[in-house]
Amino acid sequence: MDLLIWPEWPLRFGALFHVAVALVLTALTGEAGRRLGVPRVTGYAVAGLVLGPLLLGWFDASDLASYRSVLDLTLALLLFELGIRLDLRWFAANPWVVATSLAEIALTFILSFGALWAIGTTGGLALAVAAIAVGTSPVIVMHVTSELRAAGQTTDRLLALCALNAACSVILFKLLVGGLHGVHGGWHLALLHPLYLLVGSILAGALIAGAYTALRKVVDPASEQGLVATVALLLAALAVLTALRLPAALAPLIAGALIKWYDPRPHLWPQQFGSVGGVLVIVTFMLAGSAATSGQVFAGVGVALVAIAARVLGKLGGTMAFGPASGLDLRKSLALGVALMPLSVLALLLAEDVRQLYPAFGDRLMPVVLAMTIVLSVLGPIATRWALVRARESRTGETS
Amino acid sequence: MSLEAFAPSRALSMGVELELQLVGTHDYDLVASAEDLLRMMARSEVPGDVKPEMTCSMIEVSTDVCNDHAAILEQLEALRGALTDAARKLNIGICGGGTHGFQDWTERRIFDQPRFHYLSDLYGYLAKQFTVFGQHVHIGCPGPDVALYLLHGLSRYIPHLIALSASSPYVQGKDTGFQSARLNSVFAFPLSGRAPFVETWRDFESYFSKMSDTGVVNSMKDFYWDIRPKPEYGTIEVRVMDTPLTVRRAAAIAAYIQALARYLMIERPIRLAEDDYLVYTFNRFQACRFGYAGVYVHPETHEHRSVADEIEASFALIEQHAIELGSDGALAELLQDVRSGRNDAAWLRDRHTGGMPLPELVMAQCTRWMGGEAV
Repeated sequence: MDLLIWPEWPLRFGALFHVAVALVLTALTGEAGRRLGVPRVTGYAVAGLVLGPLLLGWFDASDLASYRSVLDLTLALLLFELGIRLDLRWFAANPWVVATSLAEIALTFILSFGALWAIGTTGGLALAVAAIAVGTSPVIVMHVTSELRAAGQTTDRLLALCALNAACSVILFKLLVGGLHGVHGGWHLALLHPLYLLVGSILAGALIAGAYTALRKVVDPASEQGLVATVALLLAALAVLTALRLPAALAPLIAGALIKWYDPRPHLWPQQFGSVGGVLVIVTFMLAGSAATSGQVFAGVGVALVAIAARVLGKLGGTMAFGPASGLDLRKSLALGVALMPLSVLALLLAEDVRQLYPAFGDRLMPVVLAMTIVLSVLGPIATRWALVRARESRTGETS
Repeated sequence: MSLEAFAPSRALSMGVELELQLVGTHDYDLVASAEDLLRMMARSEVPGDVKPEMTCSMIEVSTDVCNDHAAILEQLEALRGALTDAARKLNIGICGGGTHGFQDWTERRIFDQPRFHYLSDLYGYLAKQFTVFGQHVHIGCPGPDVALYLLHGLSRYIPHLIALSASSPYVQGKDTGFQSARLNSVFAFPLSGRAPFVETWRDFESYFSKMSDTGVVNSMKDFYWDIRPKPEYGTIEVRVMDTPLTVRRAAAIAAYIQALARYLMIERPIRLAEDDYLVYTFNRFQACRFGYAGVYVHPETHEHRSVADEIEASFALIEQHAIELGSDGALAELLQDVRSGRNDAAWLRDRHTGGMPLPELVMAQCTRWMGGEAV
């Protein structure tokens, strides 16, 4: 009868305890990173890898699935904030910024595909990896820029190019994967599905934008209750997007851009959604490592390194070719290309989604994407930080 | 180092310099984009000049030497148009105002040029706190003694100019209660304030060489006086004004100074005396703090009146000169503002106390400066 009121021995902690310890460890690794002069996100990414199946095995791929909503929310919040920085008026005033973006997207895609094709990767896989290589990690870019309080021409372009290439990467990827598997469902399906994703995301984005604009009339987004309302709005949006089977990444980004276009006033909330955002980013990176098993990583590492090399060339080529015309000097154009390196959770989730739909193809794709994200989520933030400090756009007094 | 000779210039010619704020369009905080903007401006053909300033979030534009208000306004409009185009391409905003409402001075970066680094090393945090934005007006003088007469004569009108141009009520996110808080930053510099009371260039040269012998100064640039002679241009430079929120107002204020100068040069209405300066800092403070409503103590009669009344009285004195100079229209507009108690500080404060957050206020400043004609 007293079994339920006295503790059992040995003590048994719920799963939450495990998560709590992991969170603390991740946070501490981030702090250690900061002291070593590398971005905190790099520390988080390293901690995620250590905690995952690669070393300690505290988390595995099943956790990635069960905490999926946390990852989606983090991405949605950050992409919404990133979207608000995507000023369509600027693109009209300076089309060279869009040209830079298109150039780096096209070059990255073509060079990555070409390099993989040249080393004998099958066409379908090469196309899918190239589509993923196009995107830059919004989570890392947002985190590093806010950590440095970076502002200036390179930072503005970095955020804009990141938003555009991330969106482009999602669309390309869905389009290609749909196309590759069109044989199973007929070509009309292969065309209709991406169209549905795109139009659906735009409509959903417009709805979110409308709701946010209405909300802003009632409550200041920078206040606590405003923050809660915004988070709740995006949570609701995610639920709807999931029900409609639309990608979680596109609609919030589109919503943000529409809001800035409709209402050019500064849209500010506590930096990075304050501490909520910080905790979510840590959880995200803690879980990002959970997909990586050593077998997979070794299987993918060769192809991944080739793709990374091609990606570096593509991004640098695009920014160096059109940066000067858009008003950057060569130093900042170079910095911009380097700053676009990070790749992370978004890529991982894209690959994971494909594995759900087409397991056989997903099992070939996943190792390559995993190896790429491991390298670029650890080294990428360092590159971004270096570039922004070199471009002298950090406002925290950091110097290289 | 000795003082260079005073190069005579065409009497009453004028030139205007404006220090401008560069802000990001996302948060409307100051942004270090001076290099990028200057690079872009180098390609465009505009009158005058665009130069870097102490920190990377500010630039200085200047007109060529002009004869009248119309020419000044035309050049400032051309500069405004070119800067606005370049700024849109860089996704930044440009605005007037003597201070930025909420910038954090610790985040400023010194522009990469030897003189700015020298000043930064010398003055330490003062240099970064000196991220304030002023309008400077040069008035041409036929000779150095006239220049000194003009300098001391115009000193009486410093409160007028402060009240007319005041546009810096907010500093570091707080309402200072001042209409021009910018001048408080200038006052922190050891060589700020007023020029010594000397009436001839010979005396001024001996003052300069004594100061130079102490090792405290190397050139006229080291003096941060409210009005200082600029021998290489043959001008005196009035430096107390905040940068107004529009180029139109900046041009009108320059025209007011020009008309005052003509009145002083031609009528010689004042017998200068050292004691004129007894009330100088008091009057200056009153104008900074209260604007038009400040108390002005007359240097000779010691009568206490409001700055607004004094400005109104000065307009009556210079009316004929303004007509001669072709600036009576511009001055009439300015007088209208004085009568209705309007200046840029009031414009800013109305909005912020009406509930507009400071970032949105900076955005409104940008719309106002970049938009031009719509005043």
